Amino acid sequence: MQTTQTAAMAISRRVAGPSLGRRLEANPFTWLVPVAVMLGVFYLYPIIDVFRLGLTNASLVGNEERYTLATIRAMFENPALVDILWTTFLFTFGSVVGQQVFGLAIALLVMRGERRKLPGMVALRTIVLIAWVIPGIANGLIWQMLFSEAPFGAINSVLRLMHISPVAWLSDPNMAMVSAVLSNVWRGTAFSMIVFYAALKAIDPTLYEAASVDGASGTQKLRFITLPQLRAAILVNSILVTIQTLNTFDAIISLTGGGPGRATEVLSLFTFNTVFRNYDLAGGSVLSVLMLAISLVLALVYASFLPRREASE
Amino acid sequence: MMRLRLVTALLASAAAFVAVSAQAQNLVTKDRVGPADAPKSFTLRLTNDGPTSTDPVWAEGYQKLFSEFIQRHPGWRIDLERMSDNIGQEQARMLEQAKSGQGPDCAAVDSFVLALFKGANVLKPLDEYFTKEEVADLFPFIREGITGPDGKIYAWWWNTDLRVLYRNKDIVPDAPKTWDELKAAAIASKDKGMEGVLFNGGRWEGTTFDWLANFWAQGGKLVDDKGKPIFAEGENREKFLKAVNYFKDLVDSGAAPKRVATIVNYDEFNAAAAAGTAALFIGGNWQYGQLKNTLEPEEFEKWTFSEIPGPTPDQRSTGTGGWTFGAFSSDPEKVAMCAAVIKEIYAGPGNALQQQLPTAAALYGKYDVFKTPANETFAKALVNGQARPGVPIYPEISNQIQIMMGDVLSGTKTPEAALDAANTAVQAAFARL
Repeated sequence: MQTTQTAAMAISRRVAGPSLGRRLEANPFTWLVPVAVMLGVFYLYPIIDVFRLGLTNASLVGNEERYTLATIRAMFENPALVDILWTTFLFTFGSVVGQQVFGLAIALLVMRGERRKLPGMVALRTIVLIAWVIPGIANGLIWQMLFSEAPFGAINSVLRLMHISPVAWLSDPNMAMVSAVLSNVWRGTAFSMIVFYAALKAIDPTLYEAASVDGASGTQKLRFITLPQLRAAILVNSILVTIQTLNTFDAIISLTGGGPGRATEVLSLFTFNTVFRNYDLAGGSVLSVLMLAISLVLALVYASFLPRREASE
Repeated sequence: MMRLRLVTALLASAAAFVAVSAQAQNLVTKDRVGPADAPKSFTLRLTNDGPTSTDPVWAEGYQKLFSEFIQRHPGWRIDLERMSDNIGQEQARMLEQAKSGQGPDCAAVDSFVLALFKGANVLKPLDEYFTKEEVADLFPFIREGITGPDGKIYAWWWNTDLRVLYRNKDIVPDAPKTWDELKAAAIASKDKGMEGVLFNGGRWEGTTFDWLANFWAQGGKLVDDKGKPIFAEGENREKFLKAVNYFKDLVDSGAAPKRVATIVNYDEFNAAAAAGTAALFIGGNWQYGQLKNTLEPEEFEKWTFSEIPGPTPDQRSTGTGGWTFGAFSSDPEKVAMCAAVIKEIYAGPGNALQQQLPTAAALYGKYDVFKTPANETFAKALVNGQARPGVPIYPEISNQIQIMMGDVLSGTKTPEAALDAANTAVQAAFARL
């Protein structure tokens, strides 16, 4: 009798299917919901709100909020925007190229040193990394002291000792941009170095051995083995450094404040000024969306060059 | 037996002293003044000028002042709130909160945004807590700043500062009174190995504020009575260009180094004075004390200050700032306590503690610290004090003046073109307010 009851229960369970708990457990959405909620609340909602604010006349001190396209029009009709975008392009382009070149050079140097078992390679990596962990504001202040055009300014004092004319690092609009790029490259090179160092480690050493057997020179190895093998790393690094540079304003605000004039006022600093100096929340939101769009477009362009896996793989 | 009684009395006194001290300490905590279970309380939002100040001397002084205050007002507790150093953001946020009825009961309001708070009708009148004599004793620009269109006072401006021309007497013996005299003195100082005259010229508020003295000295106005920017119109345009050309001429003639376009900090002047590379600079009154602390006594003796030169000896002005307190509470009792905090802690004792210039003439005679010749001279110069217009468009006007100054001093734009660009940007921003 008992055996019959147990069998009946088992059949009924089979007919009813697994319990709700088991079904939830098996469903991937159950596991994704917490992450989705977190991302939604802390990332997606603010982005949506920025889009919404861009369609209003919202102000930090202002009047009643209403929906309007006038903010978008006002921001895009601002005659300063073209100059700001050009400045942003120069700063970003200079920083991305500089960080890639110096990052790759240091990574190659470290690899070469390690291969030859030279002492101090770990110390070299650590020293380069120190620049990376310095906060942007501190980075700006450090370089402000170095670039100071006062008679006691650090770099100019050294130049004077070498009987070289001092340079108008920050008071000349063109040099101010060079100085801003230099300080940003100094800080960001470590990140590129790490990316390239990891990618260099992953290159199959037999490729270099084969090239050596064929009598390839160092330059040829760099051109025909290292750089093609690093293609994916260079592109990924470009995406990351571009987005990071587009968002940089702390280092500039403490180095030049965006001056002289607007010579170093990049889009992120312009956005900050729009919100916290003009109290123009809506205008700042439009500019933020513009920054987002530029970052996305550039990321997509870079990504289109990424090597793709063959269909057969 | 006698000795035993003496020892007992001493121990009892010591215990009582420790208990009272501990009680005074406990009365002021990081976020509260007074007993936690006090029946009545109000919120007080402060800057660095309070019991939680990062300056240990100020913190200790305010802890004592607040402790004594709360003992004079039993049954009350003050809930302290602290603003960050990002004052612009903090004040904008507080205005939003006050407008929605969520603001603190009493708070420090930066003088240059006070008009925004007055315009938003979020401040409660304080007339009944201050006598007519006390109000009349305030410097004119202070009285004007705190008075609303209805004639009532809506805040109490308790400290102020001003800009002056510092000079090394060994190199520049006589105080330059006019723009031409300053240029000549600066060029002459270069012959003695100095940099010439230094002033703020980079992208920050100090550039606008310090330069505006030259515009105001001619009677120039940035905005009209309704807050509309008019600095590029009619006579104001001429005065504005004259003041811009004056700075441009200082740089072009070599009276000021080109690097002024990069100066974004008053500390640069202290550094130049300490390094012995500058004999003239336009700085704030607080720098006198900083120079005293930085320089060797014999070097400090060489430094003095005078009013900022004007286009003529009679046309003088100086930018003045400072902090006010305002009450946001709808509860009259809390407004009264806010006024009591101002009167008993800040207006007078607070000035003396922080050595910040009082806003009423009477206080200069009341505290020894303000009887020094230097502070008496500062007080006299305050007569020509001019506050920044407290209108919503001011931050953008300031931003555009900074951009204009950079463009003009670096030779990127002519003063006329730079002024037109600044005006276009300001008018566009004004239209969006």
